[in-house]
Amino acid sequence: MALTKNAVCPFCGLGCDDIAIERTETGITPQPTGCPQADSLFQRSASPGSGPRVGGAPASLEEAVAAAARHLAGRRAPLIAGMQTDVAGVLAALSLADRIGATVDHRHSEGLFRNLAVLQRLGWTVTTFAEVRNRADLILVVGPDPVASYPRFWERWVAPAPALLPEGSRRQVVFLGGTPEPKTIDDLGGAPETVAEGAGINDSVTALRLALDGSGTEAFVDLGRRLLTARYAVVVWAAGMFGGEASDLTVESIVRLVRTVDTTTRCSGLPLSGTDNLAGANYACVWRTGFPLRTSFAGGLLSHDPDAMSWARRLPGSDAVLWISSFRHETPAADIARAKGPVVALATPETTFDKEPDVFIPVGTPGIDHAGDVFRSDSVLALHARALIDRGLPRAADVLDRIGASLTEAPAC
Amino acid sequence: MLIKLAGGRLFDPANGRVDVTGDIWIRDGRIVADPGPGAKPDETHDLSGRIVMAGATDIHSHIAGGKLNIARMLMSEEHHAHVHPAHGLCGCGSGIATPSTLTTGYRYAEMGFTAAFEPAMLGMNARHTHLEMADIPMLDTGGYLVLGNDDFLLDLMASGAGQSAVNDYVGWMLEATQSLGIKVVNPGGINAFKFNQRKLDLDEQGPHYGLTPRDIVTTLARAVHDLGVPHPLHVHGCNLGVPGNVATTLETIQATSGLPIHMTHIQFHSYGTEGDRKFSSGAAAIAEAVNRSPLLSVDIGQVLFGQTVTASADVGTQRGTAAVGSPRKWVSMDIECEAGCGVVPFKYRDKSYVNALQWAIGLELFLLLDDPWRVFLTTDHPNGAPFTFYPELIRLLMDRDYRLSKLAEIHPDAPAHTTLGSIAREYTLADIATMTRAAPARILGLEDRGHLGVGAIGDVVVYTDQPNRAAMFEKPDLVFKNGQVIVRAGEIVSVVQGFTHTVRPGYDNLIERRLAKYFDERMGVNIDTFRIKDDEIRNGQGLVRHACNARGDGC
Repeated sequence: MALTKNAVCPFCGLGCDDIAIERTETGITPQPTGCPQADSLFQRSASPGSGPRVGGAPASLEEAVAAAARHLAGRRAPLIAGMQTDVAGVLAALSLADRIGATVDHRHSEGLFRNLAVLQRLGWTVTTFAEVRNRADLILVVGPDPVASYPRFWERWVAPAPALLPEGSRRQVVFLGGTPEPKTIDDLGGAPETVAEGAGINDSVTALRLALDGSGTEAFVDLGRRLLTARYAVVVWAAGMFGGEASDLTVESIVRLVRTVDTTTRCSGLPLSGTDNLAGANYACVWRTGFPLRTSFAGGLLSHDPDAMSWARRLPGSDAVLWISSFRHETPAADIARAKGPVVALATPETTFDKEPDVFIPVGTPGIDHAGDVFRSDSVLALHARALIDRGLPRAADVLDRIGASLTEAPAC
Repeated sequence: MLIKLAGGRLFDPANGRVDVTGDIWIRDGRIVADPGPGAKPDETHDLSGRIVMAGATDIHSHIAGGKLNIARMLMSEEHHAHVHPAHGLCGCGSGIATPSTLTTGYRYAEMGFTAAFEPAMLGMNARHTHLEMADIPMLDTGGYLVLGNDDFLLDLMASGAGQSAVNDYVGWMLEATQSLGIKVVNPGGINAFKFNQRKLDLDEQGPHYGLTPRDIVTTLARAVHDLGVPHPLHVHGCNLGVPGNVATTLETIQATSGLPIHMTHIQFHSYGTEGDRKFSSGAAAIAEAVNRSPLLSVDIGQVLFGQTVTASADVGTQRGTAAVGSPRKWVSMDIECEAGCGVVPFKYRDKSYVNALQWAIGLELFLLLDDPWRVFLTTDHPNGAPFTFYPELIRLLMDRDYRLSKLAEIHPDAPAHTTLGSIAREYTLADIATMTRAAPARILGLEDRGHLGVGAIGDVVVYTDQPNRAAMFEKPDLVFKNGQVIVRAGEIVSVVQGFTHTVRPGYDNLIERRLAKYFDERMGVNIDTFRIKDDEIRNGQGLVRHACNARGDGC
């Protein structure tokens, strides 16, 4: 058995790099981390079994790549989605999108676009994980406890003692609207305060903004006063976990709250959204095209529409779909099954589908089968996750490059 | 592959050749000596009458990294309005002030630039910046690491660890982040802002650590010098943009005298408080101080009129700019106990007194600084203007009549407050070749770049001599990168990848123990996760390391 210490976890976006991985002849297993995502997703069998398939039948990689190129060439409205891959994979997907005129999106971009809508019309004031850990004396969580999507958030970024606060200062955590999960109470060594538990997110933020002037119920006025007297307050939200009642307008309200408080003392936001290298996929798209995800390359031009070009909106009208999913084994299979045109899937070998894709090419997971760069969800730190096991699985980036190279030879079908 | 560039007018100040007619020979990407009468070139370009220079280098251009991506997203209107379609060999892109990566490479190359350096790379954002720089085709790149507001350095200094420990830290960071140089931005001021102190003067003690900006800038300048890093400390001083900051700038020059430093976008640091509007030019005083400080170099950060976006680690200063930004939206970030980031879209208007005077101050500085080896052509892209304005800027410097015609168009009260109209100097082609080629390569320690001598890389640009210098520098006839024609008559004919330039000075790696603990306890990141390995740079293809000759006592 071999042990790798300090493996980088590419999954939820918190960028944990302290995972211990045991490797045996049968595969790899993580030593328990307390994170359900890492504990299950680092479990990989040495012989995952499934090879490339074309039309459901086993095929060589060459045949599968050629079939993929045939399906994607000459289409009117192809879609490249999922985009759950490392930066190299994303860049390769963007190059391919440029060639075939595809629209691109990441599977988990819904919450990100609630945030970007505000960034693009107003801007924002935000901070990053190490600042939170070292400086924050008041942390206000708006909406649901992020622990369900970002399991070690409290343990790694809030529980450690803040080094840059005066000696004896204590960090306070307050939930606005949401309810702390048991793991959070455990990680923080006690239950954090809650204000307006169970109330609507948008209404709660509005009430708090009004309370900064001293109007409203005592709980809100008190919370407003504490924000204004904190040294370095941080307002945390995970827009992807907001329910239907909370939209980009809720995010805007949070940003305006932060900005008001930040005029006299320090206050910053911490938007959490970065599962499966979402932050890296978006950033690579921004640097390559000048636009965020949900951008179309149709006609050799670029056009971006944060609503109309989401994968969920585009999928029904697309005449070919390339779905990339290299981190975890499940996909929105029911949605993909509804695609009218051919589906090419580049996914982990263990992935199952409701409907067999026209072409299936198993790819490795960045940070497990091959090295790859993934962004932390605060978008500042890119991590280089190294390989842990050789199972003969190709990088998504290489498969995408090969599909691109085959396009020149492939007559459109 | 042997190429002969025959009979051009060579402007090669690094080798003492100015307007000397001669041949250049390139073999396998590098300039070689004339191989003699029997040599049979595979390719010959008849350049008689044409002007030949080395590829141009931009020493200060924000081309990649987190703040650029934020700026691109904030400048969404401009990106929608300026989509650059895919054509020929070129992929599509968008944007003017914050062009996407492919567009950045194409536009620079079309203007004869073969290298551009990102001047503000944060340590925790370095891997991102390198990934993004590697996606810019056509150009050599590299980054200057931002230090001087990082809690580790300030703690090291405040705890009395001494200069040699600082040197070790700086050396370690240069290596770990694969940087080419060190930049300091508003020394201590960004850190102070995190403690809610919103202004910090050169001799004011900052919160928590009790250090002054003067302490920080001199300590870092010393460290960079002792380690033998070729590029002196790149200084973005205190009080950027503040009327009256000319005094701070002069004091900073004084504080660092005896040590080489490079003061960047000095136009933004040359403002007086005279006149009814309490905003005036300090260019003459600054130029005089620079002219008599042989160890000091500067770049200008010229303002040119139009829409752009300002992006800086100097977050507190940017909060002030936000009130006058356009369109009115802005981003402010505190980043990883290292620095920050402020992004504010901005429109410089020739009918605004302040903007018009900023434009004039930049030009005064260019024209009053008498040594083209110590002044560099920059707009602090995109902060003063997009880099695509360089041909216009060159024309303003080379053509007095044109300059006067533009001076007549600005805010009517501004010309009375600048000496620009009375300055007769016109830059020569030799000055331009020095300022954009020979001097930047020398100040960065890029020995085989910026000149046309034997051993130099085959980055060569060929122009037709035209009276309209903007037209001339906008569209060279030929651009060679590593000996390959990449641009012909302003069109990209070959897409190539450049190199990433770095340094790796020697240092006592005992510092790593303290750093490992710091990364573990404070940053929540393992020190090995932070460190960027050589094979990560351009996938192991294209890392260039430049020598450092330590000047410390070695103990």
